[in-house]
Amino acid sequence: MLNDSPTLDRAFAALADPVRRGMLARLSSGPASVSELARPLPISLPAVLQHLKALEASGLVSSEKKGRVRTVRVEPEALASAETWLSRRREEWESRIDRFEAHVQAIKEEQT
Amino acid sequence: MNDELDLRIERTLDAPRDLVWKAWTDPEHIKRWWSPRPYETPECEIELKPGGKFFTRMTGPEGFDYSGTACILEAVPGERIVWSSTMKGGYRPNEFTDDGCNGFPFTAIHSFQDAGGGKTRYTATVMHANAKDRDAHAAMGFDDGWGTCADQLAEVARTLAAEA
Repeated sequence: MLNDSPTLDRAFAALADPVRRGMLARLSSGPASVSELARPLPISLPAVLQHLKALEASGLVSSEKKGRVRTVRVEPEALASAETWLSRRREEWESRIDRFEAHVQAIKEEQT
Repeated sequence: MNDELDLRIERTLDAPRDLVWKAWTDPEHIKRWWSPRPYETPECEIELKPGGKFFTRMTGPEGFDYSGTACILEAVPGERIVWSSTMKGGYRPNEFTDDGCNGFPFTAIHSFQDAGGGKTRYTATVMHANAKDRDAHAAMGFDDGWGTCADQLAEVARTLAAEA
């Protein structure tokens, strides 16, 4: 069912924190420097760097340092991997209940 | 219902409750809707009592053959059936591998209520063991808080994948 579970485990662990979800939401609109990421957050820079480290370890984001500026961006493949797994789960439940509903209709019509 | 860990799907079915119950609990009926085509459910056993076995075997293309056994925890005729993937018949625990290839732990509560006019209100509630499993489902849009956030991420992922 699921071949890339360790990757997903790290991704979900990284997403379990509201600060990191906020950072990811910000990055979803485009790459940002560490100071841009830190500015709206009510936490210290070292704390921001810790969260960033967790996000990078999850593979959801990557960063690159040029001169004195570290730029952070989302990793589309890691996000797509999470999305695919989630889509499968949803499909399974919704479609099973769709089939159940269709079957109920069919047997109701058989009876009348 | 624990909003932190559970998800819920509700449907109003255009059929009386006794018929809906039969469709959900009779193995011959379950076999006809359990698996998505081209997959089939050649075998199904369900013992409608606490500790009863709920067994399904799914087969499909390229030799796909998967059997799963869950445990019935509650079966109130016409009203409610509760089962869990954490156990098999007789409350014996199931084993789960870390790669998730043999499923993951959850408990499903299915309830049926008269909705008037010969209709039935069907509610499926799925309870998860931990945040990862819950988030996996909630992220699909079942949850207003974190689900919304994850939906946005999923949308972003789609956009990025399309651009790539």
